[in-house]
Amino acid sequence: MSEASVAVSHGDGSSTGIDNKKLMMWLFLGSDCMFFGTLISTHLIYRKLYPNPEVSPTEIFSIDLTTASSFILLMSSFLMALAVSAMHKGEMKSYRRMTWGVILFGLIFLGFQVYEFNHFIHHYDFTIQSGTMGSTFYLMTGTHGCHVAIGVLILLSQLIASYKGKLTTANSMDVEVAGLYWHFVDIVWIIIFSAVYLVEYL
Amino acid sequence: MSQSTAESHTLVAEKSGIGLTRPDHRSGWVDWLTTVDHKKIAVMYALAGLFFFVVGGIEVLVLRIQLSAPEMNFISPQTYNQLFTMHGTTMIFLGAMPIIAGFFNFLVPLQIGARDVAFPRLNAFSLWVFMAGAIVLNISWLFQLLQVMGIFNPEGGKDIVPAIGWFGYAPLSAGEYSGIGSDFWIFGLQILGVASIAASLNFIVTILNMRAPGMTMMRLPVFTWMTLITSFLIIFAFPALTIALLELMFDRMFGTNFFRVSEGGQPILWQHLFWIFGHPEVYILILPAMGVISEILPAFSRKPLFGYPIIVFSGAVIGFLGFAVWSHHMFTTGLGDIATAAFSLLTMAIAVPTGVKIFNWVGTLWGGRIKFTVPMVYAVGFIWMFMMGGFSGIMHSAAPADSQQQDTYFVVAHFHYVIIGGIVMALFGGIYFWLPKLTGKMWEGKLGYWAVGFVVVGLNVTFFPMHFLGLFGMPRRTHTYLAETGFGPLNMLVTIGAFILAFGLLMVIIDMIKTLRSGKPAGQDPWDARTLEWITTSPPQVHNFDKTPIVKARDAFWYDKHGDAKYKMEYEPDDGHGIHMPSQSWFPLMTGIGMMIMGISLSLYSGGVPFMGYLGIGGIVVVTVGVYLWLFEGPGGYHLHPESEESK
Amino acid sequence: MPWVAVLFLVGCDYKSRQSTFDPKGPIAQEQLDLFMVTVWVVCFLFVAVGSVLLYAVIRFREKKTDSPNFKPKQSHGNPVVEMGLIVVSILMLVIIAIPTLQAIWFTHDLPEDESNHLGQWYDGEISEESEEEVLTVYVYGWQWWWSFEYPQLGITTANEFAMPVGKVVNFELRSRDVIHSFWLPKLAGKVDTIPGRINSMWMQGDEVGHYYGQCAEFCGESHAYMLFRADVLSEEDFEAWVVEQKAGAASPDGGEDWSGFKESLASYRKDPAIAEEWDDVFEGAALFYSKGKCNTCHAVGGSGLAMGVLAPDLTHVADRVSLGAGWLDHRAEDEGEIDPELQLENFYRWVRESEKIKPGNLMYEGTGGMTGLKDIELTDDEVRKIAIYLQSLK
Repeated sequence: MSEASVAVSHGDGSSTGIDNKKLMMWLFLGSDCMFFGTLISTHLIYRKLYPNPEVSPTEIFSIDLTTASSFILLMSSFLMALAVSAMHKGEMKSYRRMTWGVILFGLIFLGFQVYEFNHFIHHYDFTIQSGTMGSTFYLMTGTHGCHVAIGVLILLSQLIASYKGKLTTANSMDVEVAGLYWHFVDIVWIIIFSAVYLVEYL
Repeated sequence: MSQSTAESHTLVAEKSGIGLTRPDHRSGWVDWLTTVDHKKIAVMYALAGLFFFVVGGIEVLVLRIQLSAPEMNFISPQTYNQLFTMHGTTMIFLGAMPIIAGFFNFLVPLQIGARDVAFPRLNAFSLWVFMAGAIVLNISWLFQLLQVMGIFNPEGGKDIVPAIGWFGYAPLSAGEYSGIGSDFWIFGLQILGVASIAASLNFIVTILNMRAPGMTMMRLPVFTWMTLITSFLIIFAFPALTIALLELMFDRMFGTNFFRVSEGGQPILWQHLFWIFGHPEVYILILPAMGVISEILPAFSRKPLFGYPIIVFSGAVIGFLGFAVWSHHMFTTGLGDIATAAFSLLTMAIAVPTGVKIFNWVGTLWGGRIKFTVPMVYAVGFIWMFMMGGFSGIMHSAAPADSQQQDTYFVVAHFHYVIIGGIVMALFGGIYFWLPKLTGKMWEGKLGYWAVGFVVVGLNVTFFPMHFLGLFGMPRRTHTYLAETGFGPLNMLVTIGAFILAFGLLMVIIDMIKTLRSGKPAGQDPWDARTLEWITTSPPQVHNFDKTPIVKARDAFWYDKHGDAKYKMEYEPDDGHGIHMPSQSWFPLMTGIGMMIMGISLSLYSGGVPFMGYLGIGGIVVVTVGVYLWLFEGPGGYHLHPESEESK
Repeated sequence: MPWVAVLFLVGCDYKSRQSTFDPKGPIAQEQLDLFMVTVWVVCFLFVAVGSVLLYAVIRFREKKTDSPNFKPKQSHGNPVVEMGLIVVSILMLVIIAIPTLQAIWFTHDLPEDESNHLGQWYDGEISEESEEEVLTVYVYGWQWWWSFEYPQLGITTANEFAMPVGKVVNFELRSRDVIHSFWLPKLAGKVDTIPGRINSMWMQGDEVGHYYGQCAEFCGESHAYMLFRADVLSEEDFEAWVVEQKAGAASPDGGEDWSGFKESLASYRKDPAIAEEWDDVFEGAALFYSKGKCNTCHAVGGSGLAMGVLAPDLTHVADRVSLGAGWLDHRAEDEGEIDPELQLENFYRWVRESEKIKPGNLMYEGTGGMTGLKDIELTDDEVRKIAIYLQSLK
């Protein structure tokens, strides 16, 4: 098979030379794009229909805080890339350190989100029932938050597996696939950050 | 190199999570619950699909009795609404889709020369999650029965079985206007969506990555191509439905305002999201049927498929355009003239690739030697009946004319010609075509011919008059009509037709049972067919192929049989390690059960039944634990050493 | 098989109540013409493709004389033929596409012809702006009935409405609960009434007559019982109809003046026993406005006692030929006159057992603080009297 030369270690036996798990993750992310696409377009449609909601977004959004949390999430993607690279090189220690970093940054991001939701609900009385804006905002950012949380769980379980010795360089594809997911979740956040937060300040 | 025929287990009695022993294929009935074999999964999908097909059929016969004469009181209006809702939902999601999934599962690995799908346990997961969704939807009948008996009385208990139509238009499906039936519907569909997306991801990876050596994309059998396109449609179309359902669920359970008009919600959004899913869904159903037809016609014409690249390409174009025509379901919602014109023209455009397929099928017959076996009768019948459905589809694309047809029996006639005349005919043709391969037994006698005759006659007597009923002004989804409207006689005719059709379908099922009980051995290749599934035994062994075939051309197997030395079949040499087979697993079943508990209890929670919220959380925990144990269980596996003659 | 059905259809009535084959207005005519274009194109395709298919199936079937190993020519396709067929099918679609586009704009755009403006033909009293407008009707879909409002003329009616012959009428469609669809097959195809938005359409009736329509979007339990009727009237008749509709209902004692009845009602509320000497209409009215609580949801024009907006306007309910959104017809024969006995019976049945006639209806169930009839215990005799009162609302 000509593909044999393409695949250094992971493509064995696959017709395209792309590992099954990796291909699966790409396809899932394609599908996930449709999930977020639907959520984001719902938000933008309602935003256009009702340009002046009862609760003004610019009044309640704290753009500094969200920029900070976005930056942290972006940096976590950077660490994730380092973790994958360390895994490929077989540097287990470095992999673990980087992954801890990703998890920590992911948790900080989630913490910011919890704080933000809490603040909106208790200080501004802006809840999931506050007009269409409240509904689309919470469902969309909440879905994204769930994605981050699932990502943290995946990374954590890989990390545990690596301490137990079940995750070795032979499974580096698993780490790479988790990395793909994590990068995707970050990119989606950039889009949400622009379409929900930044757009209000135009 | 082992010459032993025995299946030696290199890994014996693996341990599994939560104290379970990992089952293997010798474990009796446990084998069926834990299997990861794509052929067994296919059988379970198909049997479940046939079961629900019968259920949906019985539902519609009750509807037809109610409609047979004006102002009938055979069933109450709400029962009627529940029955047509469940008929539509059942036939599409629990009848047609699982039978199609059965075909995908059985055929795709065999046609591409693979041992199994890419992710066997994920495949089992799809099956059990599908079963969970089917149960969540249909268990509403049980709760309604309990309510009638006076045992169970939830809030909003007027309609425990969904009564909102298979399209569930908000705000009728929102909290104010419907009972917990809508919750069963939402959770049932949501769970079925998970199953469909998981299965589709699996099939795409399988088709792209698991092909036998030499099986390039343009050598793939057309059925596999259509599976690939269908799977892409599913992974891109279902998310729109999932989000729409999520929004509706939040509206019902958490008071959000997506479709709540008083707070600015726009019910029209539901229609857009639903049809962005719903129109591709139509192609999700018909493309596999077209794939089946494209396999049967060449086999019995003894000729290759006419214009293979164009058939494949037109399938892809249909899939692509399928995402651009959703608003033709909404011509009467006041889209505005520009949008109406655009969607009209796009809808007409989609007729071109569809027409191309019909031309190519006729081209396949042309110049062949047509052998009218039962599958071939279905295939030719498919072309006729599908053409009828396609023609009324063209009529709908003219938006102003459609405003008279929309939501009338004309539309009912149109899509039943496509679904029964198209999908059901193709799937039954496919069952007759591949049943000998699946079971190793051959159907015989005249019953199959009689059955297809009754099906075609019943189909036309039922649905042809419906065109006229619609044009005479009879709206759909009305449980009765005034005598003065003059709809009576035609409705009686339609009801008679429905019973003829049901009788035909019953004969098909009897014929299948007869074949299973007393069919003669079928042999490997009873039809002198062309694709790889026919080079292995009937039924195929658990590992499908003793040796992986090397593919030199499209239809190479046929050329080889007919003496073309250029295409002599060759096989990959045995590497001496044997064939690695994955171990079976409990956890796909466990996650499916978790989903079922979650769906049922959250639906009941919405009806105010105590403790159901906790049970729902329990369900989620079962799912999470199941997935976790599954991920860390590893594929496991054992090695098979089939006897190989050529290596001796 | 289709031909058997066609033969059967010959016996059917193409001009039945809601038949789209019997258009009586320009829009329905345009839609039918377009439909027939599609029919002819499709028939051509059916014959063309069908005959080739039939020929292929007969000509190339396996014959008994064929050797079992006969191998036909293994042709893979012919690009010229295939491209040719694609071009032909595109041409066929163009034949449909052009009239489709024309019809879309024709049916969407309100005709600009000034002769349709109210000022040009309507002799009654209207505001100055209205003179430059065509007659407009607001249609409201409710579960499961219709209300029709004429904002320029100041009248409201339910389930049956009138329009002048030969004049363009503009309809604005709204929904009060779920999605419905307004469909009058002989005059125009349907347009949905969707909560949260206003749709519009125009229609013109070219022939005086009664036209039947019904809701065409599934809208809940009693969707099938949501019928309505349009009366296309001559200009004079239409104007007379407007005058009649504008007039309030007569007081139960016969006159224009309700003050006598109001006084009696006040004392009846204190002591229902005084009704013993009243006639049935008067007592029925007293029940209607007190114990029956009908006036909380229904309106009776001119009374000042009933101004409800949740239910059909009853000012001239006895002038309508049917009850319960078209389901209970007061006429003994199709297109005949109202049969008073049948009408009375229908009113009685409707008040007595509306839940059987139209399950789920709010008059029986009650809604948002309004008491439904299921919680009001009316005796059969009381219901009979209310029915007699209703029959007097002309």
